[in-house]
Amino acid sequence: MFKWKKLGKVFTPQDVAGRSWLKEFAQAPCGLIFDRFVRIYFSCRPRADDNGQYVSYSAYVDVDRADPTKVLDVSARPILELGALGEFDEFGTYPVSVARSGSEVRAYYGGWTRCESVPFNVAIGFATSQDEGRTFTKAGKGPVLPYTPDEPFILGGPKIRFFDDTWYLWYIAGRKWKPVDGRPEPVYKIRMASSPDGIHWSKANRDLIESRIEEDEAQASPDVFYCNGRYHMFFCYRYSGRYRGRENGYRIGYASSEDLTRWVRDDSKAGLDVSDAGWDSEMVSYPHVFALDERIYMAYLGNQVGKHGFGLARLEGTLT
Amino acid sequence: MKWKKLGKIFDPTKFDLPDGCAEFAQSPQALVFGDFVRIYFSTRSVDKANGKYLSHVAFVDMDEAMREVIAVSRHTVIELGKLGCFDEHGIFPMNVLRHGGRVLGYTCGWSRRVSVSVDTAIGLAISRDDGRTFQRIGDGPVLAASLREPCLVGDPFVGVFGNVHHMWYIFGTGWKKFSADAAPDRTYKIGHAVSNDGVNWVKEEGRRIIDDRLGADESQALPSVIRIGRTYHMFFCYRQSHDFRTNRSRSYRIGHAHSDDLADWTRNDDDPGLDVTEGDWDSDMLCYPHAFECRGKVYLLYNGNEFGRYGFGLAVLE
Repeated sequence: MFKWKKLGKVFTPQDVAGRSWLKEFAQAPCGLIFDRFVRIYFSCRPRADDNGQYVSYSAYVDVDRADPTKVLDVSARPILELGALGEFDEFGTYPVSVARSGSEVRAYYGGWTRCESVPFNVAIGFATSQDEGRTFTKAGKGPVLPYTPDEPFILGGPKIRFFDDTWYLWYIAGRKWKPVDGRPEPVYKIRMASSPDGIHWSKANRDLIESRIEEDEAQASPDVFYCNGRYHMFFCYRYSGRYRGRENGYRIGYASSEDLTRWVRDDSKAGLDVSDAGWDSEMVSYPHVFALDERIYMAYLGNQVGKHGFGLARLEGTLT
Repeated sequence: MKWKKLGKIFDPTKFDLPDGCAEFAQSPQALVFGDFVRIYFSTRSVDKANGKYLSHVAFVDMDEAMREVIAVSRHTVIELGKLGCFDEHGIFPMNVLRHGGRVLGYTCGWSRRVSVSVDTAIGLAISRDDGRTFQRIGDGPVLAASLREPCLVGDPFVGVFGNVHHMWYIFGTGWKKFSADAAPDRTYKIGHAVSNDGVNWVKEEGRRIIDDRLGADESQALPSVIRIGRTYHMFFCYRQSHDFRTNRSRSYRIGHAHSDDLADWTRNDDDPGLDVTEGDWDSDMLCYPHAFECRGKVYLLYNGNEFGRYGFGLAVLE
């Protein structure tokens, strides 16, 4: 089992003043390393509207490279605008995953729309930044990864990586809307696509990670990290129903691969679980693993899927 | 070339329809059999949950002279999509063709949205009983929104020419409120994609292949392509993007373009032209054309007033 030393919660959105679009939630952290700081992107929300409905934005905090638990700055505005009337990202841009490509920074993000029979749908958008990741321009008004016969809805949670001259996108694809206690709950599984240019994608068209806790287990945040000759994937998973509390809520899983296509799941190695008390006592989710100055960190969410912010853990030892 | 109108040939209110449908026979599309012609169309039931429409596919078999109704389908031709899927709230239209010993159905699936009324995408279903019923190849679409085709991918027409599958279809360019108290209206244009297998498609990605006649707010719909001699002809319908439902000066008309190479299209709505007839069933609107050949004659199926609420008619090329 990997051993993670929890460093505590790093960022609390409720502590930020003067930003009406950043009142609650700091979800799906994703890091971009600079000389003196690490820019950690996250997704947040203004207060819910009169009907209790949220929109979501993506933004960042800069943390000290020498001590990444120390917040230096918070972005003054969201990195992306919401889509226009009827567009796939009209009601949210969540989550976002970034990578450098030459002098630009690329972002892949989940765009949210609202539906009548089910609460929402998600598709993956693409945007680029020419100002070191402060603002992003969308590549088009539509999504970069289309729905297909085997991936009918909820294409979300993108994670972008570049290995061996190829772009890889890990994401989740909806399998079914399952009626639970009178409401439809989404079931989604981890999938993958590859591309020479980051725009034209070939889908693997299969579930990468076998379901463990139940057939309708939902899987999210497929975060792939290369270390010691193999690929390590940390992700999160939950039960299909009554998952908003400790009992059935998100936990962090683990799988590894030699070739990026065949993955062996072994959650017992993940090594990061809920605490007995505190901000991550009910659930742990949306892991993001990154290396910084010879050390490996995991950013992750705690209770209520990041409503009160994200935290960090540091690996003791290495990933093998 | 000139169209000769043969009048309305099918009125859905005079027959028992499947799936609880009562009115509408929209977007008629022909599949020619040995001694009859099966015409698929979309008809409507009312959703008990909220009073909104659900579109279902049905068909009518007509004699090869296109005069007599032989039978109307009484069964479910294709089920609507599952909860949350792109075709949950309707299939309208379905384009049917024979290829490789099978009958293929390319569907335009509808699902409802909150801030705008609907989105659509294109699915594929296959019939194993010669066009009586169809089963989809998956819960999701084969052609859907993409970077430069952001919404409302629909109205497929597939033709196989020179071993290449061609699909002409429409994509939305955006939604707009044309006045403060109006519901949002959409604009769509005709696009093109190709495929080797009919399942995996490569779009031209946002290229509008037919010039606008009414300007940027022209909506173009339901392309239908047929080869006559050495020339390919496309029939489609077009209208203004708002105030088009009851204002006959802004409602659907039939458009036409021709091409020698399936790449470049020259628009020429008047040759052959088809216009409204004063005082008749198609006095205010002409829409959803479908061209096909039967026994050496070229026909055009189309809808008239009220988007086909009371059926469809036929014209023959002279």
